[in-house]
Amino acid sequence: MKMTTWIRSGLLTVLGCAVGLGSAEARVKMVALPERAATVIRLDNPSATLIEEERVLTLQKGVNQVDFSWNGVSIDPDSIRLKVLNHPDQVTLLNVSYPPNEAALVWEISSAEPVEERVRISYLLANIDRLITYRFLANKPETQVDFKSYLVLRNFSGEDFGTSRVQLDYGEAFEQAIGHEETKQLLFLDAGKVPITKVWEFDANQLPWDPEKVEGNVGIPVSYQIENKEASGLGKNALWGGKVRVFQDDGHGSTIVLGEDSAALVPVGEKMKVNIGDSRDIKVVQRKMKEERINLRKNVNDQVVLYDTDEIIKTTLENFKDSPAVLTVIEYIPGQWDMVECNLKYEKKNSEKIEFQVALNPKEKKELMMHYQRRNLR
Amino acid sequence: MRRKIGSPISMIRRGCCLVLLLILPVQAKMDLVTLPKRDGVQVTIYNSADLTLVRETRELTLQKGINRLQFSWANTLIDPTSLEMLPKAHADKLAIEDLTYPPRTQNLGIWTIKSQVSGKVPVEITYLTSGLDWRAFYMGTLSGDEKTMRLEGYVRVGNRSGEDYEDAQVRLIVGQVHLLDQIAELAQRQYPYGAPAGFGFRAKGDSDVRERKDEMNKVEEAEVSAVSGYMMLTDAAAAPKEIIKEGLSEYFLYTIEGKETIPNEWAKRLPSLGPFDVPVVNLYKYEEEQYGAGVVRFLSFTNDEAHKLGQTPIPDGMLRVFRTADEVGHLSYEGQSEFKYIPVNEKVELNLGGVENVVVTPTLMNFKTENFTFDSDRNVSGWDEVKTFKIEVKNTRPVAVKVEIQRNIPGVKWDLNPDGDCGLYEKVDLDTVKFTLELPPRSQKEFKYTVREYQGKRAE
Repeated sequence: MKMTTWIRSGLLTVLGCAVGLGSAEARVKMVALPERAATVIRLDNPSATLIEEERVLTLQKGVNQVDFSWNGVSIDPDSIRLKVLNHPDQVTLLNVSYPPNEAALVWEISSAEPVEERVRISYLLANIDRLITYRFLANKPETQVDFKSYLVLRNFSGEDFGTSRVQLDYGEAFEQAIGHEETKQLLFLDAGKVPITKVWEFDANQLPWDPEKVEGNVGIPVSYQIENKEASGLGKNALWGGKVRVFQDDGHGSTIVLGEDSAALVPVGEKMKVNIGDSRDIKVVQRKMKEERINLRKNVNDQVVLYDTDEIIKTTLENFKDSPAVLTVIEYIPGQWDMVECNLKYEKKNSEKIEFQVALNPKEKKELMMHYQRRNLR
Repeated sequence: MRRKIGSPISMIRRGCCLVLLLILPVQAKMDLVTLPKRDGVQVTIYNSADLTLVRETRELTLQKGINRLQFSWANTLIDPTSLEMLPKAHADKLAIEDLTYPPRTQNLGIWTIKSQVSGKVPVEITYLTSGLDWRAFYMGTLSGDEKTMRLEGYVRVGNRSGEDYEDAQVRLIVGQVHLLDQIAELAQRQYPYGAPAGFGFRAKGDSDVRERKDEMNKVEEAEVSAVSGYMMLTDAAAAPKEIIKEGLSEYFLYTIEGKETIPNEWAKRLPSLGPFDVPVVNLYKYEEEQYGAGVVRFLSFTNDEAHKLGQTPIPDGMLRVFRTADEVGHLSYEGQSEFKYIPVNEKVELNLGGVENVVVTPTLMNFKTENFTFDSDRNVSGWDEVKTFKIEVKNTRPVAVKVEIQRNIPGVKWDLNPDGDCGLYEKVDLDTVKFTLELPPRSQKEFKYTVREYQGKRAE
């Protein structure tokens, strides 16, 4: 993209006396470039970035016209505001005009006296935003992570920003300069050691029941859970959503990559769940051993109009690891049902979803038998 | 033409480059202070994804105050968002202020380091790259009686990253890593973190990616001739290296002893497992729905101490099986099997493909229907189907074999009665049964079973 010097140098505020506001060519511009000062980039709203900048205008007594143009920069024109800071009782914004075929506007400002007036201009600017990324380093026993979060500033607005105050949702504003098409990565939050819980999860609706019959390796998804609470060294603010990369200390002064995931926003008190990969050392094989119709109810033509089913599901859970694991097993029984017998304790999560927490010792194999009856099927 | 390994020209021509810049406050001019060399490098290569973690150590000469360090990686496949620098000394006196990806400049990052010390400081720079890979493969040699298999495992490490890795510590990761993005795609982005959705730039598009892939394909073609030359160079150098294996989280880490040089576009084979003489079972399976009308041969063993294994999981790969054919050690090729990851203590069955020297023939010998029921209109509402099958099993081989026959029975309700020498009979699930027989060399067996399938009202 080719840019002229004055456009690249920033939004151009032109102070001058305009002789009428006819066509663009007919407008006379007397250039006096007030220096931009006290620029604030507000990134507290993830969908739009608000820029606030202060400039000193040299106003004559009477009506002044101030030209503000933004060629090559994506400003929402309806969002532009002007606030008089020094003499609000003497300086009044009369009206705003938009010249034809130009990315510009003209403020008509009345001043009671000749004055150097500081004003604050604010506007919504597109294509400048921030991302959040996380980098966790787990210890070897996988009980805690070094929790670091980075702020990534991306500026593709067409505008170069010199040293500006950058304000996020929370925390102190900080100073940063960022040019057009520049990306900057800054350490944003270093929470130190944060405890984690490692979770293995078999979901009967998501994973194959017999891994042997599937081409390729089948693994059990493994996640780390982090609670956004004070006891974890967090809990002061919500954790923004972003990409999480997880590494692990290998015990030899180096690290390995465990995996990466995309975290959603985590309010205070909630848990962040980061899927790091699949375990091939925990194996789940599930088989339906029985499915019979029972309690048949018939109409006058001896046709079955209502029945129950008697079903048995056998699930084999095997830990090939040298370390223990607590496996979450999620099972689904649709419709109305009663559990006749189940050899392991479960928690009903909703009408058709039940969850088991099965502790497996190293090299241990367990069997889960569910005998249930589904009711009133037609 | 084969390039000389370690040629300094190659390092200048492409690859990562680290430059320390000193900002002189008055002129705001950037001066080149030093070009710190890479003191050491470690590569950790994954096989479930195109992912390698690189860890470099370099010694920087820092000034008190603000230092800027430029890191560039033209013609490599480095993910710029993964770059990280860690001081290995004076960590409390050094602050990494930011990492800037300058505008209109690709493959370049500048760290701002605020230092309270001046002088030499060792740092570690880590990043993720694409283009290095490894895979496992195996060779098995069956003994004459086919009761044991001499198992040897290898890994083949390849480098198409665009970067030469000289005297690198090479580590390999076995396991399934979860990634959101392909590292190769991140490496080829125009902007490291992309741009906001509304920004109308022409991203480095499909055509560029295609060009890159074409280049990669060319590299692959060129690889064959290059490898032979390189292996000749190293064969005379030393004895085979040991691979140290250890478990980490859900992964296994293989660390290759000593240092390796893997120039760009080269590959290297290293022994990784055995040789072990593993007791095996010759297993033959018949299941029409799964394998069709023929018998499929498997080799069965367990990854445990009883089978001379069990130290570590066995990474997935291709096993080529040979058999000792005569007393002077000539070989015959038996087949091959692409197998999945084998955890410690798991029993595996390696599929070697269909055979004709073990035959299973099921024949329907008798069929009848009975026990009809009728509804109020005198229409048939239920009945039983009774089928008698004869199963003939022939082992024409000169060795003993184990044969598993699985039969799937349609319908929701049925009874089955075996008759004769059917071996071990078991119900696998609600519609599958299994017969397991042991057959001596050159022998045959025959048994029958009768299945009663309940239809319509009879199934209620």
